[in-house]
Amino acid sequence: MPIIKNKPLRLRRWLIWTLLLVCPGINAQTSSEKTAWQQTLQDARNDSVYFYAWGGDPQVNRYLEWVTKRVDNKYGINLEHVKLAQTSDAVSRVLAETSAGNTSAGQVDLLWINGLNFATMATNNLLEANWVSNLPNFALTNPDQNPAMTMDFGMPTNGMEAPWGRAALTFYYNSATVSTPPTTLQQLLTWSVLNPGRFTYAKPPDFLGLSFLKYALIILNQQQDVGIYEQLYVAPTPQSERQLLSSLWAFLDKLHPHLWRQGQYFVSDGTSIRRLVGDSELDLGFTFSASDIPGAVDRFDLPLSIRSYAMKDGSLSNVHFVTIPVNAKHKAGAKVVANFLMSIEAQAKKQQPSNWGDRTVLDLSLLALDKQLLFSSPQQHPSALPELDTSPSLSEPHPQWSAVISKEWKKRYGAKQ
Amino acid sequence: MIVDTSLFTRWVKFSPSILITLLIMPVVAGLLGVILPAFGWLPALGEDTVDLRGFEALFATPGFVKMLALSFSTSFVSTFFAVLLSILILGNYFNSKLLGHIQTLLGPILVIPHAAAAIAIGFLIAPSGLIMRLFSPWLSGAELPPDILLPNDPYGFSIILGLTLKELPFILLMAMAAMQQKEIKQAIEGQYKVALSLGYHPFTSFCKAVLPMLYPFIRLPIYAILAYSSASIEIPLILGPNTPPTLAVAIMQWFNDVDLHLRIQASAGALVQIMLTLCVLFTWWLLEQCVKRVCLSSLINGRRTYADVTWKFLTHCITLVVLFAIVLALIGLVLWSFAGYWSFPKAYPDQLVTQHWQSALQQLPETISDTILVALAATGVALFLALFTLEAEQQRRTQLSSFTSLMIYLPLLVPSIAFLFGIVWVKEIIGINAVFSMVVVGHLLFVMPYVFLSLATSYRKLDLRYAKVAASLGRSPWSVFYSVKLPQLMPPILFSSALGLAISFSQYLPTLLLGGGRINTLTTEAVAIASGASRRISAVYVILQILLPAFGFILAWLIPKLFFRPRY
Repeated sequence: MPIIKNKPLRLRRWLIWTLLLVCPGINAQTSSEKTAWQQTLQDARNDSVYFYAWGGDPQVNRYLEWVTKRVDNKYGINLEHVKLAQTSDAVSRVLAETSAGNTSAGQVDLLWINGLNFATMATNNLLEANWVSNLPNFALTNPDQNPAMTMDFGMPTNGMEAPWGRAALTFYYNSATVSTPPTTLQQLLTWSVLNPGRFTYAKPPDFLGLSFLKYALIILNQQQDVGIYEQLYVAPTPQSERQLLSSLWAFLDKLHPHLWRQGQYFVSDGTSIRRLVGDSELDLGFTFSASDIPGAVDRFDLPLSIRSYAMKDGSLSNVHFVTIPVNAKHKAGAKVVANFLMSIEAQAKKQQPSNWGDRTVLDLSLLALDKQLLFSSPQQHPSALPELDTSPSLSEPHPQWSAVISKEWKKRYGAKQ
Repeated sequence: MIVDTSLFTRWVKFSPSILITLLIMPVVAGLLGVILPAFGWLPALGEDTVDLRGFEALFATPGFVKMLALSFSTSFVSTFFAVLLSILILGNYFNSKLLGHIQTLLGPILVIPHAAAAIAIGFLIAPSGLIMRLFSPWLSGAELPPDILLPNDPYGFSIILGLTLKELPFILLMAMAAMQQKEIKQAIEGQYKVALSLGYHPFTSFCKAVLPMLYPFIRLPIYAILAYSSASIEIPLILGPNTPPTLAVAIMQWFNDVDLHLRIQASAGALVQIMLTLCVLFTWWLLEQCVKRVCLSSLINGRRTYADVTWKFLTHCITLVVLFAIVLALIGLVLWSFAGYWSFPKAYPDQLVTQHWQSALQQLPETISDTILVALAATGVALFLALFTLEAEQQRRTQLSSFTSLMIYLPLLVPSIAFLFGIVWVKEIIGINAVFSMVVVGHLLFVMPYVFLSLATSYRKLDLRYAKVAASLGRSPWSVFYSVKLPQLMPPILFSSALGLAISFSQYLPTLLLGGGRINTLTTEAVAIASGASRRISAVYVILQILLPAFGFILAWLIPKLFFRPRY
């Protein structure tokens, strides 16, 4: 019985080997790298890869279900999406495991991450290093010309994480109740004074709330000396904190009384803002994945009158990644999945607004024209961010700033009455 | 009773110890896993000095005193209200058919997971919630939702509302279970009748003649509720304020924070949480003593009435409001789960669609089967141990010592946030990789007490003469147990199983922490989705969370009717 069972598998393996031998190199790679990758593919077969990724968005979850099917068909990998309420849960898990001496049988194989979580894991040596450049599809992101692919919030990734998608802070409003939304930070303040209680942000350490605060921090300090402004991109010091943060607190002191619930209560989760806009408790919201908005309109979570736009004074932008913890049990499988996530097929599918709408990390100019076409969407959703709507892209400050803002925010507004 | 040493009797003999070990070991291990880091010992982060940094950081947290006050007041006040309402309902509807009806209506709330109840209440009382929609704009004049602090108000009123509504059915159920025991029933009904015949008004009769006898039976459940609510997560997380939140919620957030050094502070917080819970319990004890002192004289002062009519009217009103709120919350859930866009202030969605159900059901079959498997395993083990322990009691002919009884309550009395994180830590140190069995053990900690307590009364009041007759006819203890006792106990066993399943279905923290996200149950998914943006999908999950345990109870009610007709 076991012999009969094994036969098709062996046959399939043999077939793959033949195919691999027959097919000449698709990417310009040395033969030793090639065989190393083939070895990885072979090791990965029948792996169960546990992908820990935030599970709060049905659209993302559905996309990952599609990925699960594809990697099963293509590589025989059994991908399990472990839905996290917040990414830091997985960070804690890896830490607990390694601290208990579990160095090779960790539960987290692949993790969706960026920014502060990445910085924490990287500085605590919780991540596998130098594996990303071995992924064949990584070359498609043009990393030499595109530093964003190897820098995460100003920190070099050192091959610890593979880029997956890009995001920019996008605002949206209900055009049925708002005729002209604010398009700069200063306008946002005056608009809030005129429309009290119709805007809010999530309290730190929520990712979206922090993003709003970082956007404000950058804009408020743009007029400062270049020397001072550039301190945002290195780790904060007591002096630079004083120089840069004071304008933020002054701004927030003015803004808070006009926020939803007079700034006495802040939602803990950035995505709840979308629900509050849907409930008509708010008129203005913001998100890091612009594509969420048309998706939410189609699912009736938001009204048809929602319109998206980018702030004229700049949009905070970053790249999100997938990473492999140092103690992951199924590293080969995780690498193959990470590589698939960067493939043209997966990236094009992801960029389609009806699937997820997350912007690709691939450098489209490297692709053939017919492949490029896969990435364009057939028609624009009325609630989607207009393709022509561009604004200066603001890069993320050094990740330490998030921690500082979070801590200081809690001191000032965390226990308010 | 003659007891030989068969495999069965040996098993029975050891099962009380196994049961206690299963409950105490994880709790103690978990507490150890929190105490060490609380004093700064966390070698994983290179912290191996013992000091009080964690506590210093904790006391310096902005709003720390407010956190304590919030945890204390919400748990104490909500339990107080729940007990008061229970007394009003029991007293005013005592010996009336209405009591049974109210119990049937409130019973289902008992099985609604806390997370689900919190989400449903949030839907109801939010500025854009169903109540506001019903009265807008014709009465309130609001075209837009008013900007008021509900839920999540800084004083914790929403938490108190949520906790009270969840606790009320539990106390009622415990009280009614006690009242249905034969000896107690006879005694209290006798006293009540005497009081009535002496001219005491009904509610006064209840308070003077019945309550003093009844209270000891609901006392332990009340303490369990106090302990639970002072450290609960789901309701304060969804309905409570967050500048600052309650202590338990803050601890959970610190444990999950990206800044891993916060774990020292979180562990210190967990110890403070235990102190806080003890304080709440102690304050309740003080309240009991005061009430005892103050009311002792009025018990025997011979006064026949204390505004009985007013109390009765008040009870009618409160009961109606509570039932109305529950029904409205359920209607709201169903509407949201089918709602297309639903603009404020409409009380009815713009259109109804089945899209949310379709997409949720596509993703759920595996989750539902995992939920059921874990629940069946935990309940099965719990049932097995509970029955054997109770059988051991009868073979030894002594009730469990009060220490043992208290130990069965242990996981309900120690704040779970305090020991669950420790268990994860210990589990990692020992290097246990099993996921499913760890989740089952975690659930067992909370399922076991309920299954045991709900079985104990029926088992102890079992008419032993049948068993004696069978034994004297030469049947072995196993055969007596299997073919005489179990069939007699079938209805309570089925009810306990349904209760055990329901408790298991509702576990959030144990599933999340011990399963490491590998096992998703409906409750963990519902909380994850509640953190997201779709109120409609949330509603679908909540309804499923309610249907699943309800299904268990319906089966428990149907099976005896269909298969075990009384054979008199």
